[in-house]
Amino acid sequence: MSGFDTLPSAWMVWDGPAPAPGGAVLEQTRELDKFLADIERRAFRMAQVALRDPDDAMDAVQDAMLKLARNYAARPSAEWRPLFYRILENGIRDLQRRRSVRKRFMVWLPGPKEDPDNEAQDPMESVADSGPSVPERLIQDEAMQKLESSLRELPARQREAFMLRNFEGLDVAETASAMGCSQGSVKTHYSRAVHTLREQLGEVWR
Amino acid sequence: MTEENMDPAISALEERSRALFLDSVAGLDMRTRSRLTQARHAALAAADASARRPWLMRIPVWTSAVGVTAAAVLGVALWFGGLLGQHGQMSAADTQSKFEDLDIIAASDESSGDAMDMLQDDIDFYAWADKTASSEPTA
Repeated sequence: MSGFDTLPSAWMVWDGPAPAPGGAVLEQTRELDKFLADIERRAFRMAQVALRDPDDAMDAVQDAMLKLARNYAARPSAEWRPLFYRILENGIRDLQRRRSVRKRFMVWLPGPKEDPDNEAQDPMESVADSGPSVPERLIQDEAMQKLESSLRELPARQREAFMLRNFEGLDVAETASAMGCSQGSVKTHYSRAVHTLREQLGEVWR
Repeated sequence: MTEENMDPAISALEERSRALFLDSVAGLDMRTRSRLTQARHAALAAADASARRPWLMRIPVWTSAVGVTAAAVLGVALWFGGLLGQHGQMSAADTQSKFEDLDIIAASDESSGDAMDMLQDDIDFYAWADKTASSEPTA
């Protein structure tokens, strides 16, 4: 997905002849746009697996994008991916902590009564995406739900290692950089995660 | 397959889970995709704004820290400078006040004779007043 073609009109200011530093900034912006467009959906799904809530996942991804763009855009693009995931994992952990604190307080407060019939439905959500047939889709969804629930049962570090290595395809060094630990720890976390998942899902997926 | 797992069962798990994950990514609804695009544009706008700011203003934490440090150094310098200056002035003032104190003490010593005279006068006056009062005929 190019993404740059869909930028709002404010970005068209860059189209005119620009001095050298501006040109460098434009090039960097294009590269960053490409990087974020490539990574954003996988990052969102990984955040959603960890946080369960899509709105929280969106907040975490948006925050990670902003922090990367503001603070690390000038870094070499090869460093962006581990940096982005490190920011994202920190954001996920912050949200999880805040959520647990909020839960402790909310126990003592009367919550609003939810009316399931009164929920506003976003028409965009009902737009069908092209993909596999309905039965095949259902089987895949069910398998993915089992995988997600198994991933949520893993310790956070094991889950991070598994998702970064297997879903995002980071190598051991990049995963270690993203997780802020040694490469040996990454291998240990990953190995434990894989064996636990195999125990839980092996029978189902055989 | 990752390099540390050569077990075919494990590599099958890795492949299947990765395929499922990527499939779920591809199946994201349009609303989520749209929100992600908006988030990306916001991040790029922030990066652009950050890149166009003067280099000193790009790091507000540093500039504020430098400002605070400079103010602290200036404050400490002024304080020490004030103390040193005050110390010099205090030496002169101290000497002067000591002379004044000596003057006062000397002056007190000089006038102590007068005070005794005044006290004697008072005693004489009260003795005279008492005698006069007792010698006056009652009306």
